[in-house]
Amino acid sequence: MLELLYSPIVLILSSVSVIFTILYIREYVLRKKLQSEGEKVLEDYKEKGLETLHQSIQNSQNILSEAQLEGVKVVADVKYETSKLEEEYKKKLIDLINQSQQTISTSQSQLIQFMYDLQKRSDEFEIASKQAGEQKINQVFGNLESRLSDFLIQTEQKTISSIELELKAARNLVESYKNQQLKLIDENIIAMMEQTLNIVLAKKLSLKDQLELIYEALEKAKVEKFVV
Amino acid sequence: MNDILNFILKDTYTLSSLKHRLRILKSVVSAHLFGGQPQGELSSSDSLWLSTLPPILYQQFNKNNVAEIFDDIESKINHFKTLTMYLPFEVQEDASKQIGDYVRKNFSSLLLLDIKFDPNLIAGCALSWNGIYRDYSLRSKIQEKKDDILESFKKFLR
Repeated sequence: MLELLYSPIVLILSSVSVIFTILYIREYVLRKKLQSEGEKVLEDYKEKGLETLHQSIQNSQNILSEAQLEGVKVVADVKYETSKLEEEYKKKLIDLINQSQQTISTSQSQLIQFMYDLQKRSDEFEIASKQAGEQKINQVFGNLESRLSDFLIQTEQKTISSIELELKAARNLVESYKNQQLKLIDENIIAMMEQTLNIVLAKKLSLKDQLELIYEALEKAKVEKFVV
Repeated sequence: MNDILNFILKDTYTLSSLKHRLRILKSVVSAHLFGGQPQGELSSSDSLWLSTLPPILYQQFNKNNVAEIFDDIESKINHFKTLTMYLPFEVQEDASKQIGDYVRKNFSSLLLLDIKFDPNLIAGCALSWNGIYRDYSLRSKIQEKKDDILESFKKFLR
């Protein structure tokens, strides 16, 4: 509802209606003013005529013989002038009304033309806006598609490299564990061998053999100059 | 005093044996000079050894010098060079005598042995001289040849 109120077409139509109403009121006031001015002028002329007539009557009363004739003449002249003025006024008033009507009809036709143009421009603007919007949406969708594609490629590459790293680490871990276990097994083999030899030789090796080995060790220490 | 020590050292090869013999000699001489019985019972080997000492040796002791002579001998013992020897078996006196003879013949006549038991050596011995330890035992040889032994073992397994 609010969107309808703020629509440019409605606003423009409302503005034109207001202008049209103002013009109409102006014309009406102007006509009324002219009419009142005409009536005032007519009233003035009437007053003047009556005054002249009164003077004429007075003059005619004062001037016995010529007064009546002159008075009638003046009255006739006044009547003639008055009717003439009334005719002129009527004519001018009619012209003015006609002129006003023409002006109003011209304004009306201009307003209609303006509204028509406005409607046309509004339609053109709407079409252009629609086309621009569609272009913009298409562009946005194009960009989005491109970025999404890039993002998916990057994500795939990162995932692959991450998996490769994980695999490498796992392989290293397995290798390290294997080496540790093999080292442990080797140490156990040597320890078992030492234990076996210890048990066997303790029983089998004679004192003479033991002493021979000790002499050999002492000889070696002497050769190495370990014991001086 | 030197005669006493040299006489004792003639057939005494280990530090523990020397200390033991000095202790029993001191005990016997003190008992003889001051009366009473020697401290502790003497084993047959101790009695045998005491009987091998010449009478002239005993005559050098009197009540006034006995303590001084033994103190002097003990202080000299502390200055003797000692070769610590680790052996994989318990050494009897006979074996220690044979080893001691060999050492004195090949190194020095004043050398004392400090024999310690280490069953992990398997065979042979390890020596410690001036605070430096060196292993000449079969265990050390096995450790040296460990890679070759393991390689042979793996070949056998294949």
